Amino acid sequence: METEDDLCNNNWGSSSSKSREPGSSDGGNQTFTGFTSQQKWEDASILDYEMGVEPSVQVFDEMKASGQANVDFLQGVRAQAWDPRTMLSNLSFMEQKIHQLQDLVHLLVGRGGQLQGRLDELAAQQQQQLITTDLTSIIIQLISTAGSLLPSVKHNMSTAPGPYTGQPGSAVFPYAREANNVASQSQNNNNCGAQEFDLPKPVVVDERESHVVEEHEMKDEDDVEEGENLPPGSYEILQLEKEEILAPHTHFCTICGKGFKRDANLRMHMRGHGDEYKTAAALAKPNKESVPGSEPMLIKRYSCPFLGCKRNKEHKKFQPLKTILCVKNHYKRTHCDKSFTCSRCHTKKFSVIADLKTHEKHCGKNKWLCSCGTTFSRKDKLFGHIALFQGHTPAIPLEEMKPSASTSAQRGSSEGGNNNNQGMVGFNLGSASIANQETAQPGMTDGKISFEEPFSPMNFDTCNFGGFHEFPRLMFDDSESSFQMLIANACGFSPRNVGESVSDTSL
Amino acid sequence: MSMSPSILSVLSEDLLVRVYEFLDPPCRKTWRLISKDFLRVDSLSRTTIRILRVEFLPTLLFKYPNLSSLDLSVCPKLDDNVVLRLALDGTVSTLGIKSLNLSRSTAVRARGLETLARMCHALERVDVSHCWGFGDREAAALSSAAGLRELKMDKCLSLSDVGLARIVVGCSNLNKISLKWCMEISDLGIDLLCKICKGLKSLDVSYLKITNDSIRSIALLPKLEVLDMVSCSLIDDAGLQFLENGSPSLQEVDVTRCERVSLSGLISIVRGHPDIQLLKASHCVSEVSGSFLQYIKALKHLKTIWIDGAHVSDSSLVTLSSSCRSLMEIGLSRCVDVTDIGMMGLARNCLNLKTLNLACCGFVTDVAISAVAHSCPNLETLKLESCHLITEKGLQSLGCYSKLLQELDLTDCYGVNDRGLEYISKCSNLQRLKLGLCTNISDKGIFHIGSKCSKLLELDLYRCACFGDDGLAALSRGCKSLNRLILSYCCELTDTGVEQIRQLDHLSHLELRGLKNITGVGLAAIACGCKKLGYLDLKLCENIDDSGFWALAYFSKNLRQINLCNCSVSDTALCMLMSNLSRVQDVDLVHLSRVTVEGFEFALRACCNRLKKLKLLAPLRFLLSSELLETLHARGCRIRWD
Repeated sequence: METEDDLCNNNWGSSSSKSREPGSSDGGNQTFTGFTSQQKWEDASILDYEMGVEPSVQVFDEMKASGQANVDFLQGVRAQAWDPRTMLSNLSFMEQKIHQLQDLVHLLVGRGGQLQGRLDELAAQQQQQLITTDLTSIIIQLISTAGSLLPSVKHNMSTAPGPYTGQPGSAVFPYAREANNVASQSQNNNNCGAQEFDLPKPVVVDERESHVVEEHEMKDEDDVEEGENLPPGSYEILQLEKEEILAPHTHFCTICGKGFKRDANLRMHMRGHGDEYKTAAALAKPNKESVPGSEPMLIKRYSCPFLGCKRNKEHKKFQPLKTILCVKNHYKRTHCDKSFTCSRCHTKKFSVIADLKTHEKHCGKNKWLCSCGTTFSRKDKLFGHIALFQGHTPAIPLEEMKPSASTSAQRGSSEGGNNNNQGMVGFNLGSASIANQETAQPGMTDGKISFEEPFSPMNFDTCNFGGFHEFPRLMFDDSESSFQMLIANACGFSPRNVGESVSDTSL
Repeated sequence: MSMSPSILSVLSEDLLVRVYEFLDPPCRKTWRLISKDFLRVDSLSRTTIRILRVEFLPTLLFKYPNLSSLDLSVCPKLDDNVVLRLALDGTVSTLGIKSLNLSRSTAVRARGLETLARMCHALERVDVSHCWGFGDREAAALSSAAGLRELKMDKCLSLSDVGLARIVVGCSNLNKISLKWCMEISDLGIDLLCKICKGLKSLDVSYLKITNDSIRSIALLPKLEVLDMVSCSLIDDAGLQFLENGSPSLQEVDVTRCERVSLSGLISIVRGHPDIQLLKASHCVSEVSGSFLQYIKALKHLKTIWIDGAHVSDSSLVTLSSSCRSLMEIGLSRCVDVTDIGMMGLARNCLNLKTLNLACCGFVTDVAISAVAHSCPNLETLKLESCHLITEKGLQSLGCYSKLLQELDLTDCYGVNDRGLEYISKCSNLQRLKLGLCTNISDKGIFHIGSKCSKLLELDLYRCACFGDDGLAALSRGCKSLNRLILSYCCELTDTGVEQIRQLDHLSHLELRGLKNITGVGLAAIACGCKKLGYLDLKLCENIDDSGFWALAYFSKNLRQINLCNCSVSDTALCMLMSNLSRVQDVDLVHLSRVTVEGFEFALRACCNRLKKLKLLAPLRFLLSSELLETLHARGCRIRWD
């Protein structure tokens, strides 16, 4: 079963195995706008695909040269984000930028006053565009600078999914990682030394991190490959951090920062950012070949970051996890809250959404439920179980609960108690009709009955149907009807006691 | 009646109680009217009560603190609130109630039942038959009553195996359970029942779709005495074979209308249980063969045998009766091969016979009846429906010898005439007499019945077209205890005769169908007089005008069921009837030409909270307001669209 998680794993796997060698970049004064328009994630090793556009920025060339193919540029930039000096330079850069813009606008204002008539439409547009671009770049710069601060609160934010609009200017970065991406894309021109950082990062245990970048073609593998007997040392152990395991997205748009689970989805998304992403090369699936000339690969196994877990490499009887998917599923199942509740039974909870989906396929099929909580797919099995265990009874599922007639009857009577309820047909009788008219609901007045004629067949003089304005109210009423009094008056019968209340026949 | 204080001082309360215990219910009513002391004795001694109106329940519970049996089956508007009130009442009588009848309620639900089951610890017998909406949830609620011994759940249509399992687990001490017409119950439920309720003595699984597997489980019940499985169409002889070696205490078996059961199945039951007392195998065996008779010979204790519809030769009947001499009840209806010879042999052998059903045995003549009357002095019930050869001669013997006869069915015996009735009237203990379709009887014959059969409780004169007002007057004068009278299509009757019915104080069931000559005057007289009237059939009484219905609405407060089809009742009268008859539960309102749709709507709204059954013309389904129909449905009223 190929789920999105697999792909997430896949990409995480490749990015997590990067070296933490910081990217080196020059301190050129390249403008931000220029950068954003040109900058490409050229390094296949970083995000596991080739954009197919050669970097035109010098910094990337340098990086490529110095940091080999698998330099974790991203991590490097991230490291910078924590440097106060970087921050300072960023701020001064922005200040400078704002000043420039200010000058430009001043100029425009001055010119606009004098030469208003002579300016043709095109020139005005160009200037406007220029200002807009500059402003946008400043805003993005500001956001990225602020975003670099986000890792400090990432523990709170990385787990809580938040609304993410994906608009470049919207400055909402629910995920620290995304923020960092943007930060990196705007700050890669600031050269900084490698810093120690406690960002979410893959801790590569093995020594040979420079070779480990390759494609993990994720199969449908379960994480319970207990029977595997690999001699220790015959494989390398990788351990992802909790945050990376739990991150919802592994692919991020370099322009707007939107995250994706699948690389292919990102590429589709990129098309919207310009024609250069629509080329066949840009859309092609990145080649899977790893670093050329790499030596025979060592088998990789994974360790759970949870200390004390059997899947943690520190455990005495450590049993490694086979794939990234296994890591993800294992970690979620074992060390996370089960936040997905089955929408059918409302009892079963899962931490892996795929498990929930699997359950939902079968949920309800085991409809034979015992009071002890055991479910059975067959009725006879349940009854056998009940016969076997004393005190166990079949449970009556809630779904079978019908709206009880008593409640609806109560509803009916309560309606009856309300004089102007919609439930009442407007029985407008004689003189009461006018009084009652406004109390009847619009739709029901259609059923209005004129009883003037049928109600006087016996020509009761004493029978005043004016009393019938009470009638609609009593229609559903339990009590002795108003008719009783009425007849007494009408027929001249004397009131008599109600019939036998108790019958004498014994049971 | 005046009572001097000196006598009262002599009679202490416990003595009064002992005297009271000898009285039958009608006398008890008189008793409690005598004085306050007598009333006190009555209220302290009374243990059973049948409540007619829910409104009086709290007062009555308070009045009678020692009640152990409470019957609410005829109360309209019995719902959860009543049951809750009952449960939370807290009076001594509530807590002491052992037997509770809630049958035919429409709005009792799990909530009320659960509270009731928890509060009334003494509860032993509960009847929830025909309860609308009694399903698994309600069964689960009822299962809280762990002390339950007897449970009747006939025709609880939504009860499934799950509900039964709840009952079974909760009330494992059940002695008696009836699951008749609980169509959802399957083998699994029965199997569980038999595995857990080992003390079961009586089990009714009639009409269920159960198979031989159930019988296998039932056969494992060690104490089972009574097994009813009427019309279990999936059970065959192989299933009955399980019973041969199982259920050692079995005494009564009913396999009536089990299509697949044949004589060999019966033989296996009989072979395994020589002490069996009751065997009902009507309409399932086609022939009583020699081999069967051989086995039946061993049944020395057999008291009741029903083999209706089988081919029973005279010789077989003689053999049967000669071996089972203790037989008290024989059902031979539709045994067309039976003749006088067989019956004479039977009469000779079975001297203790109390009940004999010879319906549709066309060859039986006066000779057989005379023989039975001569030899069986204990005869209490004799059914001779459609025995066309019966004449006054046979009835003469009955009148002379069968002094204990209580029930006589002569429906469609056109040989019966006035003289025959004169003979019958000598059976002074007669309580139930059916003379339907006896077209040769006239006022003269009825006069004899009226003058001599003072104990008569039920009289059926369906389509006795030749008798008229005088006969009815004689009946009304003489048979004061009549509570069921059928006068349908006795076309001679007019207001003059019908007015006489008002003398029958105890009348509760009256059928006046097709009496075109009676008018509002006659009906008004009946309504004024018969205050206990609970059932009234006025179908096709086209000449009754509104004055009669108004009187009915005013006086017949206890009317539960009324058939007004083809009556010329007006909108007004119908509304008055339906709103004023506060106990009405079952109404037939088809072909009322003078009632408008609005009249129906109005009338039904007035009584919709107490109706349980309703018959209406189909087009009304679309003319009545959906809101009314929904309310009716929610209240558990079943509507039959004609």
